Parts: sequence; structure tokens; C-alpha cells
Amino acid sequence: MATDNANAGGFGEVSRVRGIVFEYLSFGASVFGLVALGVLLVYVSIDAFDLANASPEWLLTYFLTLVVPFLAFCLYSANDSEVTRRALAALGGGLVAVAALFTAIEAVVAPIPRLNWQLAYLFVVAAPVAAYLAYVGSRGRVAAVGFGLLGRLVGGAAIGLAVGTLFLVFDELVWFLAYTFGVVPAAALYAYGRWRAADRAATAAIPVGLVGLVTAVFLRRVVTVYPSDLVIYLWTIAIPVAAVGAFLVVDRSGRTVGIVVAGLPLTVATAGGFLAAGAGLSAPTVLLVLVLAGVPTAVYVSRVIEVGDGIVGLGLPILLAAGVAAGALIVEAWGVPAPDPWLDLGYVTEAPSRTPEEAGLYPAIVGSVIIIALVAVLSFVLGVGTSVFLEEYTPESGVLGSLTRLLQINIANLAAIPSVVYGLLGLGLFANLLGFGFGTAVTVALTLSLLILPITIISAQEAIRSVPDDLRRGSDAMGATRWQTTKNVVLPEAMPGIFTGTILALGRAIGETAPLIMVGAATTVFSAPSSLFSRFSAMPMQIYAWANFPQADFRYGVVAAGVITLLVILIGMNGTAILLRNRAERGN
Amino acid sequence: MSNTSSDTTGDESLITTEVETGSTQRTPARTAVAARDLNVYYGDEQAIDDVTIEIPEKRVTALIGPSGCGKSTFLRCINRMNDMIEVCRVEGDVEFGGKNVYDDDVDPVALRRKIGMVFQKPNPFPKSIRDNVAYGLKIQGYDGDVDERVEESLKAAALYEEVKDQLDSSGLDLSGGQQQRLCIARAIAPDPEVVLMDEPTSALDPVAASKIEDLIDDLAEQYTVIIVTHNMQQAARISDRTAVFLTGGRLVEYDDTPKIFEDPEEQRVEDYITGKFG
Ligand SMILES: Nc1ncnc2c1ncn2[C@@H]1O[C@H](COP(=O)(O)OP(=O)(O)OP(=O)(O)O)[C@@H](O)[C@H]1O
Ligand SMILES: [Mg+2]
Repeated sequence: MATDNANAGGFGEVSRVRGIVFEYLSFGASVFGLVALGVLLVYVSIDAFDLANASPEWLLTYFLTLVVPFLAFCLYSANDSEVTRRALAALGGGLVAVAALFTAIEAVVAPIPRLNWQLAYLFVVAAPVAAYLAYVGSRGRVAAVGFGLLGRLVGGAAIGLAVGTLFLVFDELVWFLAYTFGVVPAAALYAYGRWRAADRAATAAIPVGLVGLVTAVFLRRVVTVYPSDLVIYLWTIAIPVAAVGAFLVVDRSGRTVGIVVAGLPLTVATAGGFLAAGAGLSAPTVLLVLVLAGVPTAVYVSRVIEVGDGIVGLGLPILLAAGVAAGALIVEAWGVPAPDPWLDLGYVTEAPSRTPEEAGLYPAIVGSVIIIALVAVLSFVLGVGTSVFLEEYTPESGVLGSLTRLLQINIANLAAIPSVVYGLLGLGLFANLLGFGFGTAVTVALTLSLLILPITIISAQEAIRSVPDDLRRGSDAMGATRWQTTKNVVLPEAMPGIFTGTILALGRAIGETAPLIMVGAATTVFSAPSSLFSRFSAMPMQIYAWANFPQADFRYGVVAAGVITLLVILIGMNGTAILLRNRAERGN
Repeated sequence: MSNTSSDTTGDESLITTEVETGSTQRTPARTAVAARDLNVYYGDEQAIDDVTIEIPEKRVTALIGPSGCGKSTFLRCINRMNDMIEVCRVEGDVEFGGKNVYDDDVDPVALRRKIGMVFQKPNPFPKSIRDNVAYGLKIQGYDGDVDERVEESLKAAALYEEVKDQLDSSGLDLSGGQQQRLCIARAIAPDPEVVLMDEPTSALDPVAASKIEDLIDDLAEQYTVIIVTHNMQQAARISDRTAVFLTGGRLVEYDDTPKIFEDPEEQRVEDYITGKFG
């Protein structure tokens, strides 16, 4: 009885006010931040694409030819009547709500600059609905296939462009020799070793490759006759990529499919390369883009057809291309005013200019891409090396242990030093003392690598530390040397974490201006760099320079286009790195 | 050893399971591992106190004793895994194949290649089953047929039938018992001379544990097995010789398994085995 009555009045209440207040405050703060960023991005894209001057008819046309088919595609893939109903309700209700709210605000409060209700509808309702539907749809097989295909096309083309860009400063003739005398023999030895289970051949691959590379550098000084660029790229990049593609499918789908998967993109790319030369485009770049986009696409298509599920999804790129073409035709025939975007083909392929209409970002894009590539390699190698040394090789106690701890504290502090100071260091060390020149790619890349090195090291250490000790002991007990344990067990397990840290750090490096100014990088250069030691600029520098121009067109349109380009390249780079990381995670 | 399990009456029998020790009838064995005047310290704390022991070749030797009495420490002395612990100091000799493993000219890495080890918690690498088993072969640069060796080891670890269709899937996708057998396969793949096991079945259910016990029996045909266990029945069932450690890292009694379990010399050992203390 007594126990029954003790709780008869309930258990009382415990106050949760502080927790609830905290929850809503932090929620409010993050929503505010996101909305502010969203509004900024909306205005930047309106400026970059001149959407303020888009007529409602123009918007309607593309909405009908591009957005609606895309939404329908996603809905078809999701194949869920509930989702369809909700999407239609959101699109319809949103239309009424946005239009009413927009007119009300304009009438009562103040006119909203450079925005009309149709645009607001696109950004506030259509874009989120499209993103949501893309997400829901991609859980269905059809849209998953469609996005997979689109990703390979776009990603492959982007990588092709990036590789083409790198060869602007790296000597393709050295690469040709190194490939012919180093990479090919080494790969052949390795393949033979694996095939015949002859480990000695496989082990010999690396020394043979190194000897080949040294030979190549030496031969470059002696040999004077080389095949044409197109042949070089065909032999050193296109054919191996196609061979890898064929190798990937031949096991499962047989020899014919393998030949088609390798041969078709190769033929198209070669033809494209020849035609490009006639059309005044860079033949190697066209070849690289077509091959690097074509082979993965062909492999993917053959896989999808093999599996036989969601084949309809392969139509997505065609659907979108047809939508763009139809929109253009209708707009042309209808004669409605179309926007004149700042961010167009000319903007990304031409040099800066005094007139806003002709201004281009090309040299700065090339500069940034080269720097990112160099910084990624440098900071990754140095960061992983240092963190492995600190985590796996240094003792925890004794004099060396104290020294390591001191080093550790210093690295943590280095991460907090302002970037201007690193700029100063780069100026003194790389530009002056080592004589790499003011504002050259080498100086800037080394400076930026130094800048992000502490972050890379710390995050890599964190990743290495999170590998369970059980695994290390297991490997040690098998009679593995420290190095074997690190290479075979610790690094593969830590790699995803290391990638994440490097991606974040690279994101910081690509946007830096202060250290670039300090080491004397130019704000504006008029031609793409032709070597690692030529003067060059980076995107943030160029954008910063334009932002100070007197003409409003520069400060709004051209700068906005630059910001969008920078963001797209940043997101593309991070996306690729994240995909790589997820691959590494699944590989385990 | 005069007693057999059928002779003992209910009162005298110290443990309730049958003691099956047919394997002790084999020819007398040579010594595989021996410790002489072994003392181990962690900092100032002594974990092994003056242990001298000779462990026979191709037999199962069980190490039993209460928690913290230094069984794992002793095991780690044999393959010098104690070297990894910075505060650990070893004095005395541990002989393996007649050679003191703590001599200056012994490379611990080379030593460990001759001694397999299985841990208490299954710790397969996050790699495919095949790569897990082939790990030792790979790091030792084995140039025979790796796949064949992988298959043999998996068969010896009684795992092959269960995983033969999924050799390329991750070792982490297996059940706990399968993972432990995978670790055993991994330990024996490079064909070591001694297999050390530190409570290999303590994290497993009785069915999985009994599979591993059967396996240990078979392993003793080829390998010297030294196993730490807290399970008296297990020690009695699978081992030929039993060493009893008691608190402070002292080796109190070391004899043929039936003798230890039926008629120990020391009262303390009897108390420990019957669960009166420890
Ligand atoms: N890495 C270490 N550092 C310091 N002391 C240790 C370490 N490992 C073990 N010890 C100490 O050595 C003694 C013996 O430990 P050990 O792990 O060998 O015992 P055990 O018999 O295996 O116990 P259990 O049955 O619980 O596994 C314990 O007192 C323990 O505190
Ligand atoms: Mg233990």
C-alpha cells in the first residue's frame, strides 16, 4: 500500500527550460545563417546569369522544357503517388503563396530589387522541390541510373579539362618519354607478376619505373623529334584509359562488349581531336575531354544494360539536352527577350579585359586549377608522412617523447597563425631565399601547402589515432615490420578520415588571397601560365581586383560570375574528393 | 598419473565434466618453448615472478589462473609482443628452439613470423577473407601458391566450408565465432611452429567455442599450442599439460592436465580449480 501511494501524485517534474531554450536558440541561429547565405547566393546567381532581365515568357519556356521534364523524370523514378501528390501540392500552393506574398510585400513594405515573383518562385519553391525530388527519385533505380550517367559525363569532362589544363605548364614531351620508358614497362612487369604469381617481377616494377623516369628526364635533353601532340595524348592517356575501361567490363560482359566500350569512345575522341584542330579548338583538350567522359560513360552504360534494371534512366542526359534545345528554339521563334549572362563560354575561355562584356577569367581559372593540384599533392604527401611519423614511429616517453610532444604543440599552434604571416614566410623563404620567383605557381603552391599543412597533419593524426590498436597488434603479431603494419593496416583504415581532413583544408587554400598578395601573385594576368615559373593569378585575386573597378558592371555582373565559377570549381573538387573517399570507405 | 576419470568418485572429482585426455598417450615430446628464471616488470610492479617452465612440442599447454596473475604477460614474452609496451622490462631467458629470444641478435619481427598469435577479441583486418588469411604470406614475401595456402589454412581452421563462396567479402561481415576462426586461419597460414592463444573463446557462445576447441585438438598434430583460458572445463578438455599461475605472477604448479585437475599437489591450486578462491 505504502509503495502504491508514494507515486500516486505522479513523479513530479524536472525542469527542461534551459535545454529547450538552448535547442531553439541554436536552431534559430543555424536557420538564420543558412537563409542569409541562401539569399546571397540567389542574388549572386541572378547577377551572374543576368536573370533580372529575363522576361517571364523566357522563364516560363525553360520551366516547361527543362524543369518540368526533370521533375517528371524524378517522380517517375520515385514511383510513389504520395510523393507525387505532395510535390504537385508544393509546386501549386507555392506558386499562389509566393505570388501573393511577393506582391503584398512590394505593395506594403518596399519594392524588392532585381527580383520578380516568378524568379522568387523558382528559387524559393521550384529549386528546393527539384532538389528534394532528385533525392527521393535517386532512391529509385531509374533516376539513380540517370544521375550516375550524368555524373560520369560531367565528371569525366571536368577531369579531362583539368588534365588538359595541367599540361599547359607541365611538359608533355617529358611525360611522353616518362610514360613510354617508365610507366609502360613497370605496369607490364607488375601485370606479368600478378598473372604468373611471380612476386619478384611485381616487386621489380617500381625500380624499373623509377629508372624509366630518370631516363626520360635525361632523354628529353637529347631527343629532338617527337610525334604530334594528338598522338602523344592518344598514346599516353586515351589508350590506357580505354584499356582500363575494357578491362573492367571484359570479365563480366565478354570480349565484344569490351572492344565496343574501349573502341567507340576512342574513335569518337580521335575524330573529335582531328576536327577540333580544324575548328580552331585545342585538339588535345578535346581528345582528353571526349575520352575521359566517354570511357566511364560507356562502361557505365554497358553495366546498366547488363543488369537490365532502370535502363530508361539512361535517357536523362538526352532529356535535358532536348529540353535546352527546345527552349532555345521556342525562345528564338517567339522572339521574347532573353537574359545575357555574364557567365558564359567566353567568360571562362577568355582573358581579362578593360570592358566588362569581354572580361574573362580563363588565366585565373588555369592558375587556380594548377595551384590546387600542386597544393593537394604536396599537402597530402607531407601531411600523411608527418602524421604517420608522429603517430606510429615516435616513442611516447623519454627525451624523444618530450620532443614529439613539443612538436605536436607547435603544429597545433601553427594552425592558428593568420595566413598573412604565412604569406610573409613564403615571400622570404620561397621567393627570396630559394629563388622560386615572386608570384610564381611554385612559390604560391608551396606557401599555401605550408599554410594548410598543420590542418592536414592534425586531421590525419586524428584519423590514424582512431584506428583500433587491436589491428596494429594483430599485424605486429604476424611478424609485420612497423612499416608493413602502417602501410597494410593503418593507412587503408585511416584513409577516409585523412581524405576528409585534406578536403576541408584544400577548401581553405583555394579561397585564400592574403598570402597570394604577400608573395607577389598578380591580380590580373592576360595569358594562361605556360610554366610553373611564369607569373600567374588565381581566381580570388582576379575577383578581388574586379570588385575594386569603378564600373558597376564589373562590380556586380563580372564579380558575381567569378564567384559562381569559383564555387562551382570548389564544389566540383570537393565532390570528386568525397566520391573518392566513399570509394575508399566501401573498399574496406 | 594413476587416476582416470572413471576411477574418481563424486567426492574426489574436482570438476564435474568428463576429462578426456587421450592425446597424452603420444610419445614424449621435445621442448618447444622454455622459460628460465623469468621476471617481468611493468615499471616497478612485478607481473611475472621467477617462472621456470618447459613447454612440450606439438602438445596443447593450458595456462590458467586468476585475473591479473600474468598469463597474458607470459604469453607475450614468448613472441616478444611485450617489446611494444614501453614500461615493460623482461629479465631471464625465454628459449624457443634452444635459442634465447631475448638475445641481442634475435630480430623480434623474424621471431614473430615463427609464432602465430590469436587474441581474446577477434581482430580480423578490414580486408577480404582471402586477404586476411594471406596477410602473413604477403608480408613474408611467400612465393608459392597463395590461394592454395589460403584454402588449406581455412580448412585447418574449420571455416572453409562456411566461407568458400565469399572469399572476397570482408572479414568483418562474419559472425564472432567465424571471425575468431578466421584469426586462427590467419595465424597458421604462414605455417608457424607455435600458436599462442589468449582466451580465444571468451567472447564466443558455447557452440562457437566448442568448434574452436575441436580445432585446437587438431592443431596440436602440427603445432605447439599454448592457450590461456579462464574456463576450467575447457582447459581440462583440450590440454595435455596445464600450468597454474597464482597472484603475483608465480607459477605454482605445472603438470599433466589430469593430474592438475584430479590430484593437485598444492592446496591453493585445488582451491582455485574448485572455485573456492580467485
Ligand atoms: N600494459 C601494461 N602496463 C602496465 N601494467 C600492466 C600492463 N599489462 C598488464 N599489466 C599488469 O600486469 C599484471 C598481469 O597482467 P596480465 O594481463 O598478464 O594478467 P592476466 O593473467 O592475463 O589477467 P586476465 O586473466 O585478466 O587477462 C597485472 O597486474 C596488470 O595490472
Ligand atoms: Mg589476459
